Amino acid sequence: MDQKILDRLYDIVGPDGVVAHKSARSVYDCDGYTLEKAVPEIVVLPHSTEEVAAVVKFLNKERVAFVPRGAGTGLSGGCLPVEAPVMIGTSRLNKIVHIDLLNRYVVAQSGVVNLWVSNAVKDQGFQYAPDPSSQQACTIGGNIAENSGGPHTLKYGVTTNHVLGLEVVLPDGEIVTLGGTVEDVPGYDLRGITIGAEGTFGIVTQAALKLTRQPQAYRTFLAVFESVHHATQTVSGIIASGIVPAALEMMDTLIIQAIEEAFHFGFPTDAGAVLIIEIDGLAASLDPQTERIQAICKHNKAREVRIARDDAERMALWKSRKRAFGAIGRLSPNYCTQDGVVPRTKVPDILQRITEVSEKYQLRIANVFHAGDGNIHPILMYDERNADETRRVVQAGKEILNACVDLGGSLTGEHGIGVEKMGQMPLIFSPEDLMVMTQLRSVFNPDNLCNPNKIIPTPGGCIDVTTPRRQVPL
Amino acid sequence: MTQAAGHPPSSQFIIDGQAPETVVYPASVDEVSRLLKEANDHGRAISPVGHGAFLHVGGVPKRYEQALSTTALNTVIDYQPTDMTITVGAGLALAQLQAILGENGQWLPLDPPCPERATVGGVIAANLNGPARFSQGTVRDFLIGIKVVRADGTLIKGGGQVVKNVAGYDLPKLYCGSFGTLGVIVEATFMIRPRPEAQTTLALSFSSAEKAGEAALKLTGSDMQPFFLELANFSPLPSSGDQSGDEGVYRLFVGFAGMQEEIDDQRSHLREVLGEDTGVIEELSVDEAQTLSQALQDFPVAGPAPLRCKVSLQPTQLATFCVDLEAEARRRQAPVRFLARAGNGILYTAFGGEAVPDDQLLALVDWIRVHATGSNGFAVVEEIPPALKERANVWGTVGKAFPLMQRLKETLDPKGILNPGRFVGGL
Repeated sequence: MDQKILDRLYDIVGPDGVVAHKSARSVYDCDGYTLEKAVPEIVVLPHSTEEVAAVVKFLNKERVAFVPRGAGTGLSGGCLPVEAPVMIGTSRLNKIVHIDLLNRYVVAQSGVVNLWVSNAVKDQGFQYAPDPSSQQACTIGGNIAENSGGPHTLKYGVTTNHVLGLEVVLPDGEIVTLGGTVEDVPGYDLRGITIGAEGTFGIVTQAALKLTRQPQAYRTFLAVFESVHHATQTVSGIIASGIVPAALEMMDTLIIQAIEEAFHFGFPTDAGAVLIIEIDGLAASLDPQTERIQAICKHNKAREVRIARDDAERMALWKSRKRAFGAIGRLSPNYCTQDGVVPRTKVPDILQRITEVSEKYQLRIANVFHAGDGNIHPILMYDERNADETRRVVQAGKEILNACVDLGGSLTGEHGIGVEKMGQMPLIFSPEDLMVMTQLRSVFNPDNLCNPNKIIPTPGGCIDVTTPRRQVPL
Repeated sequence: MTQAAGHPPSSQFIIDGQAPETVVYPASVDEVSRLLKEANDHGRAISPVGHGAFLHVGGVPKRYEQALSTTALNTVIDYQPTDMTITVGAGLALAQLQAILGENGQWLPLDPPCPERATVGGVIAANLNGPARFSQGTVRDFLIGIKVVRADGTLIKGGGQVVKNVAGYDLPKLYCGSFGTLGVIVEATFMIRPRPEAQTTLALSFSSAEKAGEAALKLTGSDMQPFFLELANFSPLPSSGDQSGDEGVYRLFVGFAGMQEEIDDQRSHLREVLGEDTGVIEELSVDEAQTLSQALQDFPVAGPAPLRCKVSLQPTQLATFCVDLEAEARRRQAPVRFLARAGNGILYTAFGGEAVPDDQLLALVDWIRVHATGSNGFAVVEEIPPALKERANVWGTVGKAFPLMQRLKETLDPKGILNPGRFVGGL
């Protein structure tokens, strides 16, 4: 990149706001989606909204493309710099600006880690409801870009349901507020369309987030089944009974074994499947719901239904669940996670299809997922040193997503399209649908300098990922 | 096929005194496409409508040649009770949708005014909701998929049929509250919820708006889960006697819903949460609660009022705002009734009084807007004589986001045929 551009970026963010050395930059070559890698030519870490705006205004003037990045925990390559030499990291925008408990909201900068928000208000009995599994690391800005979910979104909704307003640096460097700190703001819901736009509409620098009162009480169950089939029947039974659980998570044998080996929680390693079922709310409502849930589990031949004895046991159970992906490291040097969605009642069908895919491509696939809302997370294991296996993983992943679409579902429930699933967008969207999305992007990002080559496939299709477009040697 | 095309000018769907030259009732999505393409080719201005229940809201149309009613698109396209999702035509009335869902003990948790006449498309386009928004949310929280015909006749969709989905831009959000200016909504998919097993309503009276507001904040800050929380300066219940005679009484209505155990528990702890010095807590009978619900829901459109404004504030700002507003209204001899969604910071106002002069109405609008925006809030004039709409700037201003909104409108409706002039900034 032109030295003059580098010099100007130094001027704006100062020497401690620039990562220029090759070895330091290489850390930024991918997010949690590791099949494709690209090293940015420079990483800038602005200290304020104004610095972000100044950087963006300058890059816009110079016609240099850029990509925003939070903590890099994304799972679809959303912050992969593809033909975008400058990466703008939000890690220095890490302050909680304002806490208003009476009006139940928090204003936080976009580099604030998800869990910090809940931690800042938990002693007062509040929480920030969206809880992605990576919540100890992932940032609010990244959550907004991906419209992230998490286990408890079954009852509480995803990120977009908890954001009142955004401060955004548009791709021309203009700073705008979308939404506000009150509920009903006149005009188009530009906040709503920006959330989940995967950083292609601008860089979110600050957000007003709704707080939720912590529930009076929780009850967390671990239900053990001989087969995945019985577990899925139980999921359907609970939903049909009129209970809205806070979370309803399923894990299959492979993942149970990996987690147990890693965390020694006491999971039965010979089980076909386990469900983590959590209900919360008023203490008075938990006993009658417990009875119903136990009856449904029993009806579906649960081998055992354990109830977390205390908060410590509950936390240990959730910790195991949320670290499930990490535990896979024990089984395989690399893995790729899919994020398809099917209608809740089609969960047994998709699991059957995943088993078939696993056999067909001779890959180990573990399943740990949000069964309550039909959001699957098959984990495809591979060794990236094995080129053939890597290719099979890509193929198998595509086949699983195709099956989700066949069953009336979607390509992604919470991880985003990113670079990973662009090629499959035409499976669920018509050329007219994709055209309107391109036009919407142009409203915000007319020159496509902000996070280019994401979400919307380019007509003519250079993004058919039969082999990953790898920018490092296999 | 298109009906009623032969009654120009129509006496139906009159907006601010303007009657459309024609009214069309397309019976299929294809027909909507064809009609829009034709209108777009000829630059004919169209207002998408349902039954026309909320036509008084919005700016004066710049042009208005055709009303396109979606009421013939009123079928259930797909309903999967066990998946808790439903896809319907946009012209289906909300009450009908609720009746269908009710057969399976489910509902779409929205309770806007006039559910018999509010269509699904109208609920989305006008972002209609009611008291239950405190516990349940608004239409953007339930709309998971949408089909829209663009101004040029192209059919597009966003979202899908599943409850969790981040594939592509979140188009459903864009159409919530877009007021028919970005396309004609023809189909919608919602996630639905189990209907509460039981429900009860408690009524409390206070001698000042501040005290009532304080009680509401105690509840929202507690671990109770009220279904709704409504604060009024009048009695919505006809049985409570002469409604004009109870000035100075502020009522807080607290709804609880869910399992009977939850309701009983909360009712028994209510006094503890609010403080022992709280006055009488009256539990309404089933009939009274029903009547009240209806009245709370319909308040934003009920009865004649020369001026209605909706104000959005932070919940802690409500009470003071209401006190000052009442004083200002008295000063201008335009007595005000208000109903606040106390947990959401949303305030609906209706001004009465015999023949309030125009300049007084505009002065009230001005007062409300200055005080709302001064608190980082917003005020929308939902009803005012059409001749005053322009001066009242019914939507108010939206700040630096406006150029984006303009570009959005120009992108999706370049010829400006959809509800021209009726939305923010004359869009």
